[in-house]
Order: sequence, then structure tokens, then C-alpha cells
Amino acid sequence: MPGRQLIMNFEVTPASHTLADYRARGGYETLVKALGMAPADITKEVTASGLLGHGGAAFPVGRKWGVMKPNPGEIHYLCANADEGEPGTFKDRWILEHAPHLLVESMLITSYALGVRHAFVYIRGEFDLPYRRIQGAIDEAYAAGLLGKPVPGSDFALDIVVYRGAGSYVCGEASGLITSIEGRKPYPRNRPPRLTVKGLFQKPTVINNVESLANITGIIRMGAEEFRKVGTAKSPGTQLISISGHIAKPGVYEVEYGYSWAKFLDEDCGGMLHGAKMKCVVPGGISTKVLTRPEIENLTLSHESVNPAGSGLGSGGMIVIAEGTCMVRLLQVLLRFYHHESCGQCTPCREGMGWMHRIIDRIVAGEGVPDDIERLYAISHANDGTTICGMGDAAGFATVGILNKFRDEFEYWIANKRSKMDGRLECRA
Amino acid sequence: MPRLTIDGREIEAKAGQTVMQAARDHGIFIPYFCWHPNLSVPGNCRICVVGVAEKDGGEWVEIACNMPAAEGMVVFTASEKVKARRKATMEFITLNHPVDCGICDKAGECTLQDYHFEYNGAASVSRDAKTHATKHFDLSERIVLDNERCIQCTRCVRFTREISMSNGLGMLDRGDHSIVRPSPDGAFAKDAYSDNVIDLCPVGALLAKDFLHKARVWYLKATPSVCPGCERGCGVNLWHRKDEWKLRSPRQAARNEGIDRVTPIENPAVNGPWVCNKARDLPRLFGRVRATGPLFKGAPAPCEAAVLEARALIAEAKRPVAVVSSWASNEELAAFKAAFGSRFALVAKRDHEPQPGEVVQDDLLIRADKNPNAAGVRAVLGECGTEVPKDADLVLVWGEGFDFRAVPAGAKIVFLNAFLAPENGHADVFLPLSIQTERSGHYTNFAGVTSRFERCFALPPGVLHAEELFGSLVGNGRGA
Repeated sequence: MPGRQLIMNFEVTPASHTLADYRARGGYETLVKALGMAPADITKEVTASGLLGHGGAAFPVGRKWGVMKPNPGEIHYLCANADEGEPGTFKDRWILEHAPHLLVESMLITSYALGVRHAFVYIRGEFDLPYRRIQGAIDEAYAAGLLGKPVPGSDFALDIVVYRGAGSYVCGEASGLITSIEGRKPYPRNRPPRLTVKGLFQKPTVINNVESLANITGIIRMGAEEFRKVGTAKSPGTQLISISGHIAKPGVYEVEYGYSWAKFLDEDCGGMLHGAKMKCVVPGGISTKVLTRPEIENLTLSHESVNPAGSGLGSGGMIVIAEGTCMVRLLQVLLRFYHHESCGQCTPCREGMGWMHRIIDRIVAGEGVPDDIERLYAISHANDGTTICGMGDAAGFATVGILNKFRDEFEYWIANKRSKMDGRLECRA
Repeated sequence: MPRLTIDGREIEAKAGQTVMQAARDHGIFIPYFCWHPNLSVPGNCRICVVGVAEKDGGEWVEIACNMPAAEGMVVFTASEKVKARRKATMEFITLNHPVDCGICDKAGECTLQDYHFEYNGAASVSRDAKTHATKHFDLSERIVLDNERCIQCTRCVRFTREISMSNGLGMLDRGDHSIVRPSPDGAFAKDAYSDNVIDLCPVGALLAKDFLHKARVWYLKATPSVCPGCERGCGVNLWHRKDEWKLRSPRQAARNEGIDRVTPIENPAVNGPWVCNKARDLPRLFGRVRATGPLFKGAPAPCEAAVLEARALIAEAKRPVAVVSSWASNEELAAFKAAFGSRFALVAKRDHEPQPGEVVQDDLLIRADKNPNAAGVRAVLGECGTEVPKDADLVLVWGEGFDFRAVPAGAKIVFLNAFLAPENGHADVFLPLSIQTERSGHYTNFAGVTSRFERCFALPPGVLHAEELFGSLVGNGRGA
């Protein structure tokens, strides 16, 4: 087991997601404790815990909350971002399926801290079981009197609405998400204003990733000091990592920050599929730069260890790639995704994604020219920090990451009109 | 009031202004496609990037249209970094643009053309085929949309949502295959302000069917004028052929004296930057068949004789009544007053009434009184009656829209009108008048704002200016 566990710390059974089982595990006791605290103290506790956002950008949760000034009578919103769209990422799904009440309790505590009366769970439309589980948990909480009317023993009440997305990558971007809840096309918004100043329906809104929120209950239960004992000084706590690709035991793992990366892959995940050699790994969703096996050999799974290596843990969607995989075809798959998911609002991403996709398609068709590699670099660079949301940057990072490390495969394909690696994406026994 | 430096010039911005607004207020140009002073800020074209100096000596590049002006900010509009960004953005914008300027009506006044020369100027670096989209989409009976030329700035979409409130347009699909489309309920076709999206479009994606392939814009000149469509009196530019570009073929001669298109003149006191579709249709209003010569009871008559006859009828009348046109300019009304003083009993007339299907009045521009100078008539001639007195023995009717059944039996009729109409032949004397495009003058709108219109065309033969005519109608008898 990769370190201590804060979220996946119970046995999954056919009933472990129900209110009864959750209560038996000590569920909703932290809520009572939280309601006894002053709202500002909860925010202070979360800030002190050093909890980092788990959506991908690792923005400190406490700092995001700190912008909100809970004023009685003023409307604030909370959204749980369950639009888990980053390819390779499926960790929030585990929480929604197996610990939905942990999310509900955390949202209750967070809403109490931030003066929120209405909260939303924005869940991607493709999620079926997770949707039924979280909706079921919310229904149970309503029936138990935890939602909809003042929580017994206090005057705090919260409503949670589950909003199902219609399927778009940019809906996972915070401002696109709230625009979608408002019923419009999920075009991300320009900052300023920040969403914590003007968000959903032009009201201050906090949008946190499901996993970030799920940690709140634990932080309040054990206290910031206790929480900081888990993980490392700069990355406190744990991270859910959803690992897929050419790995023997894919799945969701809760990893304590600071755990050895190599050990995690080789021991916890059972090593490579079919005993293959590892070529590289996408650390946290395809928008983070790939790292080769030698690069990760001495790294630990923590932000302070991975970031200096030129990548990031991102959303925890780890994809392991075996030796013999064709990186040109891999990039083609990624760019087709980014082209398909570009919302088309701002120029660099709208035109750049399609352009990169056409270039890589042409290379794969054997019609590439040496200039194409520089063109891919130039388009990636022109998308870096120039777009409204982070999608342009993300596609650029992914492209540059692969080009930097596997440029020879691209040059080979352009020169020889065929793949250096047989054009394979699968890992054979 | 934040003070900031843009390109070395220290300026003071108003509180809450963006860098773009502050720069514009001080005459510093920052390019833009999607931004518009009267619309919301989508920040999607990314061409308005400017550099902001950082404390460590670096430079941070962001869009100016959404950047709040802050105290002590140092902004560069054309640093090397900014220039490179802009060039890259221009490459993106023109990547899938067909560059069919040769057959595009917008050529010559196209922002994309101008910016390309200014900020990129290089040939395309792309080796790949351009994406294709609908080349000719009927957005409404008035407007045609070329989706390939569209740069997705969403100005048109925002106009229908924020200004005309029809919500008639939206963006369909996503990525580089997203396209502008009208809403399925047909709201855009009913939008009385729809043609403004043609001016808003920074490229040649939205084009007026009336003007489609009519003329290159550099063959035309714009004459400032006032829309006579209602008492709002919106400022408009009437575009017609330049003298040096007149068509020489006799078959096309009529086009030399016609208005090719109408665009708004921005006037915050009257119409802002918009006009309604009625103004766009002024060429049809002015292009109606004209009355070309004087008539005596329907029979053509020499001009001098007709003027003398009218003068005699006026001189002989005991109780003359004048039905005054609310399409007359202030100058014409003043000439009328100077010539006749209080000789006539005055009746005010609405030359035009709302047509079936026309928007009568709304909250944006359109006013219920469909005449440009009713306020001018009141100001120059004072309060007028509304009905022709029963004892009148002469009625001088000036302009259109008069019901001749109101003329008492036996009363003589002198009729001054610009257009061919059946009533022209019923008058004892009919005199043809000039129209707005053949003279200059002023209208006073309902709010008391007086606007000037300029002459576009020469006076056609046989037609008289009312302003000059009234002087000749004063005097005795039929003698010269």
C-alpha cells in the first residue's frame, strides 16, 4: 500500500456507499464538530492544512477560499467539479461511486465555512454509476434531514443540486463549468474577474475538485496539524492516482505524497504489462509533460519532486507507456482529442488545435516535411498563455513534452514515411 | 483615477476603465476584432495583446480589452514580444480564412485586410488545406453569411443578445468548425436592427444582399445625412459613386444617381452607433419614381407658367390654408415663413404613417412618428392645426400623405410633391420638388437635436427646390 490512506480507508462492499455504512464509519460526525466551529475557523484550518487542489493546477484550497468573504444575506455558491474529463483521469469517479457521502459531508462543511446556501455537483454526462451514487447519497441526505433544511442542532441549511454535463472537455474548466450550469455554451471566461469574485450567476463562487473537497472532512476531523503529518511538508496529504496504460494492475490508488514513484509502479501497480520495459509515463493527465523512466527513477510522488523535473502531478491521471509504443501515433491521438475538444472561442486554440491535428495527420500519412516539427513547436508556443482557459497551454505542453523527448521518431517517420515503432500503441505479450 | 504609462506616454484613466478604453480615450491605438465599445468583452480574438512591464524587468503579455488599468502600470503596445504574439495571432486568424478579397464586398474597408498588412504581411506558412464551411448561407432575406470568412469574433451574436435583444444568432458546434447560425425560431429575420451586424462584422462574413457585388467600396463616397424614417433622425452615411468613378454605359447611368448603401454615423446624442433596417432601405424610399414636371390639372405645363399660376391662385385666395410637410427641412420651413408670414392658416401633416409590419416604436431607436421634422415644424411655424378648415378656398399641400378628400368643395389646390402619385393630376397646379438627397439642410428630432444632411446628387431637370420656390410664389397676379 503506497503510504497512509485518508480517503480509501475503508473496505469497499456492495453497501459501503450508503448512508448507514457511512455513519457506521463515523460519517457526519465531523459535520457536527464543524457546525460547532466559527466559519472563519474552518477556512483557517483548511489554509493551515496546506491542502492543494487536486484538479490539476494544485492551487492551494485555503487561498481560494480566503477570497470569499462570507456575508450573511449575500449569495455565494459552491460547485464540486466532477467533470472528470482529463484523459487518463478517473479518480473522482472512485469517490463518487464509493464515498459519495464523504463528498456530501465535505460540501456541507465547506458551504458552512463559506456562507453558501446552494451548492452544485457538476458531473460529466458520461458518468452513469457515479451519477446514480451521488444522486442517491444526496437523496439519502435529504431524507435524513441533513440537506434542504437546517441541520439538526444548528440554523445552517444547504441544498445540493447535481447537474449533469453534456460532454465537453472545457466543462471541466471552472468558468466553463459555471457557464454550463447557467445553461449556456460552456465558453470559459476571461479573468479578471476571478470566479471567487464573480462566478456562477455573477455571484462569488468556489469551484473545487471532488477530491479536494473530499479531503475537507478529514482535515476538520483530525485537524490541520494531524493532516500535515501525512505526506510531505510542501505537499501535505495524499493523492488519488488513477493509473492506466501498459501497467499490470491499473486502477485507482491512494498515494501518500512523498512515496517513491518507481516503487509505486514496480511494486504497488505490479510492474509493467507483460513484463515490458517502460518507455515513459504521463504523470497526471495528458496535459502534463511525459517523463522517461530514467527521469522518474529517483523522484517521489510529490509536487516539489515532480515539478522541477519539468512536469507535474496534475490531476493524477497517470498513463504508463511501454517501450515499443509509437509516440507519433500517440501524439496524433492526443491532438485529435484536443482538436475535437477545443471550444472554438478564442483564436489560438480554435485554429491551433486543428492545425496541429492536420499536421500530425499529414505526417502519419507519410506526407510530412522536416519543417512540420518546428511548426508544431511554434503553434504550441503561440498557444502558451495566450488563450482564455488553460486548454491551449495544455495541448502545447503535451506536444512539446513528446517532441522534446522523442523527436527522433518524428524525424524518422517524416524521412521514411513509416513509423520507427511499427506504429503500435498497444503492448503485446 | 489610476495613472499609467502607455508607450512612454503617461495618461490618466477613468476609474474602472480597461487599458483598451484608457488608450482609446487618449488616442493610442490598440488593434481589436472582437472588442466593441458598445458590446461586452469576450476577449476571444487575442489581437489586442499588449505588454506590461514586470517588476523584475520582464514583460508580461495579456489582452488589453480585459485588463483593468492600474496605478503605475507600464504598457507597451508594440514591443518585440507583442509584435511576435500579434503576428502569431494573425497567422491563426488567417489560417482558415479563404483570403478571397478579390470577390469580397468588404475589401477596402476590412479590418482583417488592414491588420494583415500592419501586423503580419507574410504569406501563409501552412501547408495544409483550409477548412471549408458554408460559403453562402441565407441568414435572413437581407443578409448573407459566408462562414469561411468568419473569424468567430461573435460581435454579431453579442449584438443580437445585448443590443437588439432578439437573441437571433448563436455559435453552433465547436473548435475550428464552429459556425454562426440563426436561432431556429427565426428571430433574426424579424430583428428590426439586424443589418447592424454587417457593419459590426470586422471581415466580409456578413454582407447585405442589397449591396452584394454592387460596387467596390473605393468607388463610393459617403455623404453624411439624416435618416428621415422616423423622428429619431439617426445620422447616416449615404454611399454613392464618386464623380470620377461614374459608370459610363447608358444602361447603367441610373446607378450613378442612386444610393448604393446606407451605414450609420455614430452619434451618442441621437442613435449611438446603430440604425434600424429602415435606414438601410432608404435607397428604395428615395428611389421611387419621381414627378418630373409641373402639371395643370394633370396636363404637363411649362415651369414658369406653373409657378405664375400658383402665385396667382395664392394671391387671389381669401382664406388660404397650407398643409405643411413634416419632411421639410428647417431651411425650407424658414423660407416658407419668410415668404408668406401669416398669409396661410397652417395645418401640420404626417407625410408618412407606420406601414403594415413595420415596428411602430421600441426602446432602442424606432419612434412612432415616421417623419423626420415634426419637431422642426413646431419650432419654426409654431403650433399648427390638424384639420383643413371647412371654409378654405385654397389649399396648398406640401409633401406626401395628404388625404385630398379633406379639401372643401370648390377650393383650389396647389400641390407640391417630389414623387409620382395619382393625386398629382388632381391639383389645379402641381409643382415637383427636390428630395433630401438633392439638397442640404437640417432636421430637428423629437429630443430637440438638430442634425445636418448634405446634398448627394444634382437637381434633376424640371424639379424645384422648395426653399427657392416659396420666394417666387409671393406677389400679385399672373404678371412676371
